[in-house]
Amino acid sequence: MAVASAESSTELAPAPGLRELFFGMLQVALSAFGGGLSAWSQRIVVEQRRWMTNEQFLTGLTVARLFPGPNQINMAVYIGAQFRGLRGALVALAGMLLVPFTLLMALGVAYFWLHEIPSVNRVLAGVVAAAAGMALSMGFKILDEYWRDPVALLLAAGVFVAMVFFHVRLIPVVLITGPLAMAWYWPRQHTKP
Amino acid sequence: MSTILLAAACTAPTRLTDLGNLLRVLWEFLSLSLFSLGGGNTLLAEYHHLAVNQFCWLTDAQFADLYALAEAAPGPSSMLVGLLGLGAAWKEGVGWGLLSGYGAEIAILLPSTLLMVVACLSWRKLEHSPWRIAFERGMGPITLGILFAVGIKIVRTADSTSAGSLSVPGVIVSVIVCVLMLRTKISPLWFMAFAGVLGGLGIINR
Repeated sequence: MAVASAESSTELAPAPGLRELFFGMLQVALSAFGGGLSAWSQRIVVEQRRWMTNEQFLTGLTVARLFPGPNQINMAVYIGAQFRGLRGALVALAGMLLVPFTLLMALGVAYFWLHEIPSVNRVLAGVVAAAAGMALSMGFKILDEYWRDPVALLLAAGVFVAMVFFHVRLIPVVLITGPLAMAWYWPRQHTKP
Repeated sequence: MSTILLAAACTAPTRLTDLGNLLRVLWEFLSLSLFSLGGGNTLLAEYHHLAVNQFCWLTDAQFADLYALAEAAPGPSSMLVGLLGLGAAWKEGVGWGLLSGYGAEIAILLPSTLLMVVACLSWRKLEHSPWRIAFERGMGPITLGILFAVGIKIVRTADSTSAGSLSVPGVIVSVIVCVLMLRTKISPLWFMAFAGVLGGLGIINR
């Protein structure tokens, strides 16, 4: 039935248009209401809609993680830009964010109306303690990658001390340590096989 | 006691018009966008500084509440910026608040999105460039240090009493949740729900 393609058995669908990009990303956002945004976007974009091969998707994740911006949002931008350039990126972004963001704004309005009610405030005092635990775990989650690299640990410790004890702001920290770290990690010829 | 608290209360640097405040919000988030390394959580301490210390949009407790709300709600937790924008203009009414909220989210995402589009279209050239390799390897450790600093900042903000000292039950719960986040795959929503019950019972308070 399908036109024979010399490639592989998993045939890609034709490149999505702007409407398809919007609704595809909307589907990702709605499916991920219980969590697992990354897994859902892979399932829908690669397996269901066949816009990309798994390999292309993983390349996208690499790019999304490397560049500034939230990873999942960057991933939506990557998918959109891949097919329809800047307009595709903006449309994919809108599809992914519109529903959850509008919901969050509604929750925010409700919060500012209600948060001074004593019982609401008491429950929130508990919830924030758990949320703070999530924030605390973020550093530990990536610590394993750096255990064997003393320079990396030293850099991280320097950044930590500067921010926590000397209250140095983020932008000067990145602008000063960034070039130093890049110089140290610059790929050298003899380290390559 | 109350006089001390009043003296320590945040005072905004200058009074701005409603429109001026909106432009201030947009500018602050636009200029932070390209510094969101490692997925955006690295900006949390900076958000706290802006919202609580520099511009007095929110109190410590409100900042912690909004952080928890963004974590609990469906969708990327980086949408917190929208809530901060909402808080920044809340005194001016719901309309300005929503405008500021949507504006703040667009502002934080626009520069990084444009850069991402460029990166995506020129990835083949970038992929093997030494700049790319050095950037990727070099930013990792910096992100690590920032994330630990952010964790401490959020714990201090969330687990503090109204008198300004650390809440011991709060810190204990935070540490337990941190360990469970690392050791188990339980959804964090359960931790927040359970801790919410502890709060309701008055075991964790502020």
